[in-house]
Amino acid sequence: MWKAVKDREAGVLLPSSFASRIRSHRVASFDLSNHKEIVSPHNGAINSLQVDLTEARYLLSGASDGSAAVYDIQHATDYERGLIAKHRSLFVVDKQHSHGHRYAISTVIWYPVDTGLFITGSFDHYIKVWDTNTTQVVMDFKMPGKVYRTAMSSIATTHMLIAAGSTDVQVRLCDIASGAFTHTLSGHRDGVMSLEWSTSSEWILVTGGCDGAIRFWDIRRAGCFRILDQSRSQLGRRPPLAESTSKKGSVTGQSSSVKTAVSQRRIPLGNETKQLRTLRKSQILTRGPVVQRLHPGLSSSHNRATAHYGAVTGLRATGDGMYLLSSGSDSRLRLWDIDSGCNTLVNYEAMRLQPTKALQLAVTQDSSLVFVPCMATVKAYDVWSGMTCRTFRGHYELVNCCCFSSQYQELYSGSNDRQILVWSPPNPIIAEMEDGRGGLVSVADQDNWSD
Amino acid sequence: MAAESSRSFGKKRVRDEESILDKGDADRTLGLENNLTFSDTLIALQMMRAQFPNIEKVAMQPFILRSQLYSSVKDRTQVDRDLESLKKEKVLRLFKLNTGQDDHAIMFLDDYLKQVAIAVKRLEIKNQQDLEVFEWFKKYVIETKLDVSIDHQELCALLSCGAEVKDKHVTFLISAGLLNRQLIDPNMYWFTIPNIGSILKGLSQGRKELLSFLNRRKFKEMLLAPLEKKQLRFSPLDMRFHLRDLIGSGHLKTVRTPTGLLVRVSKD
Repeated sequence: MWKAVKDREAGVLLPSSFASRIRSHRVASFDLSNHKEIVSPHNGAINSLQVDLTEARYLLSGASDGSAAVYDIQHATDYERGLIAKHRSLFVVDKQHSHGHRYAISTVIWYPVDTGLFITGSFDHYIKVWDTNTTQVVMDFKMPGKVYRTAMSSIATTHMLIAAGSTDVQVRLCDIASGAFTHTLSGHRDGVMSLEWSTSSEWILVTGGCDGAIRFWDIRRAGCFRILDQSRSQLGRRPPLAESTSKKGSVTGQSSSVKTAVSQRRIPLGNETKQLRTLRKSQILTRGPVVQRLHPGLSSSHNRATAHYGAVTGLRATGDGMYLLSSGSDSRLRLWDIDSGCNTLVNYEAMRLQPTKALQLAVTQDSSLVFVPCMATVKAYDVWSGMTCRTFRGHYELVNCCCFSSQYQELYSGSNDRQILVWSPPNPIIAEMEDGRGGLVSVADQDNWSD
Repeated sequence: MAAESSRSFGKKRVRDEESILDKGDADRTLGLENNLTFSDTLIALQMMRAQFPNIEKVAMQPFILRSQLYSSVKDRTQVDRDLESLKKEKVLRLFKLNTGQDDHAIMFLDDYLKQVAIAVKRLEIKNQQDLEVFEWFKKYVIETKLDVSIDHQELCALLSCGAEVKDKHVTFLISAGLLNRQLIDPNMYWFTIPNIGSILKGLSQGRKELLSFLNRRKFKEMLLAPLEKKQLRFSPLDMRFHLRDLIGSGHLKTVRTPTGLLVRVSKD
């Protein structure tokens, strides 16, 4: 490492590559933290974790017993034996709270602009917006079904919409400014288990449903503009331009009127190839289809392409907004190229994912590693080759969520055993102490000036 | 070849003998110019096709499960990509099986066409008329639609390139076993391998039997050499087939020991 410092001084190594080298080195040495512990006050399985986006200082967790808690992960509340930092919760809101949730909390997110608000969604059909300082509910929204996932865009400057996916087929967007539902996105055939706002545009929402489809919505228009199909694939990163244009459909000029009433058989006009021009000619079939007219660029809601053979349980976009990772209940993790909408066919080695619950995936900042909760472990995969880099075993039961803090290179994972574990690069001072020189009771970060 | 031999199970000797015979077959089916560039996946496929067990009661052409391929070639991403390109070149076809969430069978196109011909012949014996639908299917649908599923509109459109298509034609295709309705969606069909039903039943029973056998043992593991010699009671497919399949899908894992390879039930 000192050679790298020298190189940076001399100008041989760029400062940014020096920083990313240090970060990836630290991530590669992850293990169960030997200097930090989070004391979880929950009495139920931990369903959702999030580190705040502004300072990366507060961790928010939501559990199945209807409780949500906030921890300060930079400053410990007390030290055990002077060495291990214990982080207790700053406050807990649970069923005893006058306006608390009545059933399990499935999702918690911070308000992206600052930590003054946080939003919780629960199986009691409510989404509540809380004021962090007074721990009071500021606003709540009643959804038609159990809320699976909520999301707010971290790059939004013109709207503050909470996208909520529930057991109902429609995705609803709730507005904090007005307290009402502004949009209802229909198209999925079953509940929506995972949602993500795009990291490159504040208007684009990605949803994954229990019907196995992943849909892209531009909230300024009606309807979804892309559906990811697992059979459309590209080998690795984007192919050269000439090849890719031949795959895109040729939506011939149809008039832009609203779609007609529901009829049993329709022709999907979304993703056709040139070979199916003949399809339009031979439309006189026994079952009398009705032609659906679409806006150009919009995908038909009857396009049945699926991204997974089961429900889509988790979505995560990479930081640069170019790729999307999705996990399904068919125990597959897929990497999609967002712009071309193709499956990049990267195979993430044998994993078994829990099929019934929504998972929270995490990606490192430079999109090199993806952390996936696989049954009772968290596995780190290399994003492009699909090889297992590390397996983190520490939880006693199924792991539901994991959250990566890129600023301090730490991974937090929450599981059914009610614990939140911290995975970080080892602290060398404590590692030395444990080596057997025991009995030294000094606080790890106390100054040590010579006289 | 190198990737494969490093994952050999002690069946290396048998495999080497068969590879010599196999290359001969490959020469005839693929033509000389294609022989010069063998990807590892293709070699693995041909190897496993040659090792497909001979089942007495059912006339079955060899097929390979995708999980078996994952266990015999190291890089899974490369396997997926090779399969995709081979599928596009129409060397082989993929079928989704109903024995699990993500089970796929791979069959070489010639084997599939032979299997279809056998099924058609069986149907022919029963009733003589209206069998041209199978010709249309072979000529138009199989050539153009390379995916595992097809929807009703597209199917009718492609078949009508032959002549006027009626509902009973589609019924013939389903009764011959070439297509199967999807449970989640009445308009979509899966492509299927005809006459594979009893073998698939044997496949899932054999998997369960092997896993329960290993689970009942004290340490849930056994050396590969004696395990391979065991016979499964409920499955017409041999032990090697099942071992490859379960190792590839992650239910079993192999550990190298001084006395040989050990097969263990994996915990995660």
